[in-house]
Amino acid sequence: MNFTLKIWRQENAKAKGRFETYKVENISSDCSFLEMLDILNESLISNKIAHPVCFDNDCREGICGMCGLYINGRPHGNDDGVTTCQLHMRKFKDGETIWIEPWRAKAFPVIRDLVVDRTAYDKIIQAGGYVSVSTGGVPDANSILIPKDKADKAMDAAECIGCGACVAACKNASAMLFVSAKVSHLALLPQGKVEAANRVQKMVEKMDELGFGNCTNTYACEAECPKLIKRSNIARLNREWICARVGKEK
Amino acid sequence: MNLPKIASISKKIVVACVGLFLLLFLLVHLGINLCLLRPDDGAWFIAASNFMGTNYIVKVFEVVLFAVLFIHIILTIALQIQNWKARPVRYSQPSRSKTSAGSKTMIWTGGLVLCFLVLHFANFYFVKLGWVEGKYMIKTEELFSTELQNEYMAATQGKLSEEETAEFQTKMEKINAVAVKAEAEGLSSSDMKWILNLSAEDVEPLEGIVEGVEPDFYHMSYELFQNKAYSIIYIILFIALAIHLVHAMQSAFQTLGLNHNKYNKFIEGFSWIYAIVIAVGFAIIPIYIMFFV
Repeated sequence: MNFTLKIWRQENAKAKGRFETYKVENISSDCSFLEMLDILNESLISNKIAHPVCFDNDCREGICGMCGLYINGRPHGNDDGVTTCQLHMRKFKDGETIWIEPWRAKAFPVIRDLVVDRTAYDKIIQAGGYVSVSTGGVPDANSILIPKDKADKAMDAAECIGCGACVAACKNASAMLFVSAKVSHLALLPQGKVEAANRVQKMVEKMDELGFGNCTNTYACEAECPKLIKRSNIARLNREWICARVGKEK
Repeated sequence: MNLPKIASISKKIVVACVGLFLLLFLLVHLGINLCLLRPDDGAWFIAASNFMGTNYIVKVFEVVLFAVLFIHIILTIALQIQNWKARPVRYSQPSRSKTSAGSKTMIWTGGLVLCFLVLHFANFYFVKLGWVEGKYMIKTEELFSTELQNEYMAATQGKLSEEETAEFQTKMEKINAVAVKAEAEGLSSSDMKWILNLSAEDVEPLEGIVEGVEPDFYHMSYELFQNKAYSIIYIILFIALAIHLVHAMQSAFQTLGLNHNKYNKFIEGFSWIYAIVIAVGFAIIPIYIMFFV
């Protein structure tokens, strides 16, 4: 398969970026999107055309959340429930022009080319996305019994890999799906309930402070999430917020 | 426009609550407007609009309504500005994510509704405030008040001085134009009925002599809707409102945390039905007046 690539190139965080056009040829339809970019980079280096295109990646099996490209108007490209590394070239038409952009958000500044700084997500987690555990022995697995449906919902929410596709997809660059997944998976479990009220307030305040937009319930996040995190988590976040604010003890 | 001390979710919850209040108001307004379609020469519509214009509880709600509308507009604009700021560099490619068109255009459909509100106020509410001329109505018993009747009795019995008689006559001359209209329609002071369709010229002389001049929204509505251009703008704007409402209601419930597989389908269906009832209900009035009156 042959493709024309329009790739965002930007020297560093402060440089002005632009789209560059590259052609790739003889790409296998079973090639993953990142492998296709590897092939492009090989040829850029060996033919001394340009610096290789920078893009984030790590596990390449869809669980680490490092890769993330805005491909033809969709985060992680034209497939549902997959990360960019799990997207295959058979999803594209032969000869197609593919536009590749980095995540665009004030909270995710571009570092270079297609690489963005997602420290903002770490800051939200640091604000409250954890359960405080004192040191001691590992508790027995069955000492706290959790109903199956609760455990399932918590597990579904915990699937979030923090890739940032929700922010990238949202017309408002809102991080509500990410924050709601993190708030939900802890608030649903007895271990997380103790700090739930504090957690939701701190995480939402941090999210606002970092310059993410506001959720307008458009659900582009849900449509693009590679882990299929549901909008019901956002409603739960809103409920947790209301309960925390109404029952605020000081 | 930044309200940094109010958290994003708190702002959204307020927008959702006041939005739900506005949804209820629309139903009340629709109920009154539909009275225009009754073939009763406006009896029900005038009774309803007069009640809304004079009842004290409604007057309190009028203030609440303006406050609610103001909060809804200000907060959504503040939220929208933050949303635009959250993505300073836009994507070069348009989004191909699967979303509803209504949810992405809320600020624009809302803006259209706001433009319509300005037009609507200029046509109706400003007449009530006396800022703009419209059509007026007055009750027969107000026109021939006991005070005037007493003066009339005194004048006919010759109990008034020359000056007082002259004063009374000027008053009667001013009332005369309206009185003639009332008589032409076969109304007398004891009828307790509205003398309708009075122009500003008719009622201007009545100032300071009689009270109870009210805007005649019934005839103003009919006149406006007979203007086809206005009616078409009106219908288009209610389509925009319907698009706004379909997303608005579902969105408000989501923001208030009401999302459950048990009733999500019901909320979605209800939002559609509500939006269609509102749009069709309001739009049917100009359609009826344009084509069947």
